[in-house]
Amino acid sequence: MTDTKLDTTITGVPGTSRVTRANLGARLGPVIGMPVGIVLLLVIGTLLSDRFFSVGNLVNVLINISILGVIVVGMTFVFITRGVADLSVPATVAVGAILTLGLQPAIGTFAAALVGILAACGAGVVSGILIGYARINPVITTLGVSTIVLGIAQWSVGGVIVYGSDADAQAFVNSRVFGIPVIVIIFVIVAVIGHLVLSRTTLGRWVYAAGSNPDATRASAVPLARTRASAFVMTAGLSGLAGALLGITLQTARPAIGVGYEFDAITAVVVGGISLLGGSGSIPRAIGGLLFVALLNNILVLHGVPTAVQGIAKGLLIVGAVSLDIYLRRKGGRS
Amino acid sequence: MSAVSPLRGGWSLALLGLVRYRVIVILIATLVIAATFVPGFFEARTLSLGIDRVATMGLIAIGLTVVLIAGQLDLSGGAILALSGIAAVGLQESMGQVPAAIAGLGIGLLAGCCNGVLVVLLRINSLVATLASMLLFRAVCHLITDSRPISGIDPFFGIPLTQPVLGTLSTRVFIFVVLILLLHVWLTRMVSGRNLFAVGSNATSAAASGIRSRWYLFGAFAFSGLMAGLAGVTFGIASNTGSPVFGDTIVLTAIAAVVIGGTRLEGGVGSALGTLGGLLTLAALTTAMEYQSIPAYVQDIVTGAILLLLILLDRLTHAKRGTDVSPTALLRRLSPKRDAARQHETERTPA
Repeated sequence: MTDTKLDTTITGVPGTSRVTRANLGARLGPVIGMPVGIVLLLVIGTLLSDRFFSVGNLVNVLINISILGVIVVGMTFVFITRGVADLSVPATVAVGAILTLGLQPAIGTFAAALVGILAACGAGVVSGILIGYARINPVITTLGVSTIVLGIAQWSVGGVIVYGSDADAQAFVNSRVFGIPVIVIIFVIVAVIGHLVLSRTTLGRWVYAAGSNPDATRASAVPLARTRASAFVMTAGLSGLAGALLGITLQTARPAIGVGYEFDAITAVVVGGISLLGGSGSIPRAIGGLLFVALLNNILVLHGVPTAVQGIAKGLLIVGAVSLDIYLRRKGGRS
Repeated sequence: MSAVSPLRGGWSLALLGLVRYRVIVILIATLVIAATFVPGFFEARTLSLGIDRVATMGLIAIGLTVVLIAGQLDLSGGAILALSGIAAVGLQESMGQVPAAIAGLGIGLLAGCCNGVLVVLLRINSLVATLASMLLFRAVCHLITDSRPISGIDPFFGIPLTQPVLGTLSTRVFIFVVLILLLHVWLTRMVSGRNLFAVGSNATSAAASGIRSRWYLFGAFAFSGLMAGLAGVTFGIASNTGSPVFGDTIVLTAIAAVVIGGTRLEGGVGSALGTLGGLLTLAALTTAMEYQSIPAYVQDIVTGAILLLLILLDRLTHAKRGTDVSPTALLRRLSPKRDAARQHETERTPA
């Protein structure tokens, strides 16, 4: 307990942390663990199935994670600000999808998607104000907001399934530019912007500060409430974007379209080694967790493993990843 | 700080009293609304049907009340419900009906213990831990049933559960009411129950005061698992069906009911009777709105709005929680002779 210097390796904020021989493993573990894990999965997948390491398959994996990945970027912000988790993702995804397809005939796909994203942001503003300023528990707030927002979204379209009418938009999202699917490009752009905001801007620093020590952050005149609220607005907006993309690709939007995305996003972030206690983590780590889960799933699918076993694998993966993270933290703190 | 100082006049005190007894206030308000819209709402049959529909969720809410008071969260209740329901129905053929039901309960308890190990031993945050176990239990359900609902051997076996026993209360409602009253007695009258509140407000301090905090946390999860198991067994037997998709949204609604009942997610605050009030409020509200054929999504809006409003009120008045708002104090201080009463109060309050 004598080690009082700032542990910057875990926070991901560059600093002057010293790596000694004694804490080498614990310090490097969190940094190199995920890339090594992904490479290991790639090797195992290649050995187990000859279809695995092909461009077609790996691009498919990327397409599959792109929509979820957009949400994961937002969820990472929520985790780092110690906002626990945003459970309103299914509702905001549905808002994005329903409004995009519902308003499509009237104002065009692009404008409709924009309205959908803005409406989702509106839901995020409500959660953000309640969580950041009124300091209500994030779990129950996002749950309540989720119920209300989903209800309003269904009400606005009369509680039916909405079908798309713009085949061009669908073709565009499913098309490829220089061999890269458009949907993957959108995801990469969102991820890069998210990473730059988190690592290079004042807001990013505030996000880390708010998560690692709220009291000290408030004492340093950082707008704690606004920072925490912005994380929820961002997640809601990105979920809206994900919903719009999902609606355009599927050309149908039902209210339950986003169910499960919240838990999938949390799984990816947690497997990426980002703690619910906040103050640590980065977008690349969360994306790493997302890739890891996706590759593991892909290997299981290629092997014809039943969906149920994939669920078991996912559950065990969360437990394993979090236990390992807690173990490494404790070891790193002691040495 | 003197308890009287932040209060100016009777209005804020009335507001505090309103918030303190919001469960009763909101319950009465809902009942009045329900009675206005639903003819014969207070007939025993309508009422008991209303309660019957929350009996299954109520059992999960009982477990959640304990977990929430301990300052934790349990998302896995719905999956445990499905798992033990499948066990209770699916094992009937090989074990007989009663042993199968007991096995279902045992599986619920075991699943709860798994959660306890994850949270207490591996020190995983309860939200993440129960999320993982929820995925796991749900996957096991799909695996053993091949994602198909299964039926029991005798559809008449479950009939007694839904038949009226006392007046018009069905057996499962009876079980639920007895359990929630027992929980109330345990939480308010017994040392171990009071210890749970201590663990919930600050587990470390409680441990320092000689309370085995970690065992209480473990016990809370085991209890919650057992209650979810009981919910699954009664639901499975009553419907003579076990399905891997049963209870997929039940936990979030149950959490809402518990929180409407005044239990705080931060731990250390809560009551069993509050949970009962929250459940009855939701039941009355749903009955009234369904009778008016209000679409389900509008019902969701109303439920969500009530939930958020109640928590917001709770939050805004949380700073003044030291104020005495017991019924007698409220009566005394809001009576016409308020000034005299306050004089008296100030004398007694130490500066």
